[in-house]
Amino acid sequence: MSKEVLIQALADMREEEAVGLARQMVESGADPLDILDATRAAMDIVGQRYEKGEYFLPELLLAGEMLSQISEMVKPLLAKTQAAKREGKVLIGTVAGDIHDIGKNIVVFMLDANGFEVLDLGVDVPVQKFVEAVKEFQPQVVGLSGFLTLAFDAMKETIQALDAAGLRDKVKVMIGGGSVDEHVRAYTGADAWGRDAMAAVNLAKQWIGG
Amino acid sequence: MNPRIFVLACATVIEEMLPLMPPGAGYEVLDFGLHINPDRLRSTLQERVDQVPDSYDVVLLGYGLCSQAVIGLHARRHILVIPRVDDCIAIFLGSRAAQREQNAREPGTYYLTKGWIEVGDTPFAEYDRLVQRYGRERADRVIRLMLNHYTRLALINTGQYELDRYREYARRTAERFGLRYEEIPGSTTLIEKMLHGPWPPDEFVVVPPGETVRYQDFYPPDESECAARGLDSRGSENPEHPSSPQGGHSGD
Repeated sequence: MSKEVLIQALADMREEEAVGLARQMVESGADPLDILDATRAAMDIVGQRYEKGEYFLPELLLAGEMLSQISEMVKPLLAKTQAAKREGKVLIGTVAGDIHDIGKNIVVFMLDANGFEVLDLGVDVPVQKFVEAVKEFQPQVVGLSGFLTLAFDAMKETIQALDAAGLRDKVKVMIGGGSVDEHVRAYTGADAWGRDAMAAVNLAKQWIGG
Repeated sequence: MNPRIFVLACATVIEEMLPLMPPGAGYEVLDFGLHINPDRLRSTLQERVDQVPDSYDVVLLGYGLCSQAVIGLHARRHILVIPRVDDCIAIFLGSRAAQREQNAREPGTYYLTKGWIEVGDTPFAEYDRLVQRYGRERADRVIRLMLNHYTRLALINTGQYELDRYREYARRTAERFGLRYEEIPGSTTLIEKMLHGPWPPDEFVVVPPGETVRYQDFYPPDESECAARGLDSRGSENPEHPSSPQGGHSGD
């Protein structure tokens, strides 16, 4: 019951109520996965409303803020229940020349909530930094984010650099953000592209399993 | 005889084009707000392209790739010309290369021009809208998140207008939102090329009547191929449609 109420509160941007409800659920010993499930469902609704033009960028930002507050509450519980049970590793960042990360942060949250170990390199990430991080972190999946169409070249260069370093066949690369589509995927040489955070989660699941 | 040009431009871009408009050119201004919804911008542009009278030879777009809004556009009876740039910032700065240079120098730059300030596409205007919708406390947080990682506010001076009033506004905006203010020189080079030609394939996408604007026109698989792909191949398919105003196309 409270799960449904939480979903509605989140989707309707009633921040205090949503965060309060999540806290109550945590304190009363609710399953942390249930709470995360509610945030996922709420993000789905927010995404749909955004697509329909009922919500705009500010709602995505507010949703992101609520999610990060709730995830801070839920994480300690998750660590207890599924410490060893991580689905796989995803390396992610906004490519060089682009500093937008609203969408990427939501993707990071959703991957995290779905059990992936995520290393987020931040924004304006130099090509070489991605290469080094792939060597050290050894992810199965690399996510490249970019909002500007200017970023498409940086995505392409990053993937070429992975190739040059002999790492390209060790990872699957997904791209997303802004107007990324199949044309951009083909242009950059990525393995797949995604429209939203759930698409990123589904791709990672498909590639890593789980 | 030079071709007759009809300009379809965004409200922010037309500001910089009007002072240089060649005699006899027609134009229509489109709402700047369309850019946040590429699908709507595309359908609006297509609708307007379809309505351009036959008395013109060329439809020139005062747009760039604009989040791929121009991909898929086609003109049945006109040559379609689009500067081969990502967005209007390159148009104001004078070239794709100039934009890339500025972006590489400081990716977290919020650009302003006279046009943007006039149509209200600024952090101040955005903030006011947010306050109305969500109240001051939330508006403060949202605008901070929206401007996260932005470090510089750059007023582009294209040299076409007296900027005093806008300079003051831009400076205040920078101060209010914690950005470093800078005035950077713009250029009318690209606008002049747009309006007067020639339209070389490395700088322009020139689409013959009946053909469609493609993603590869802006981002060819291999940059060095752009000349061959963008124009010459098309030109050879359609020898009757020259690629620039100097090409001798009379249109009649």
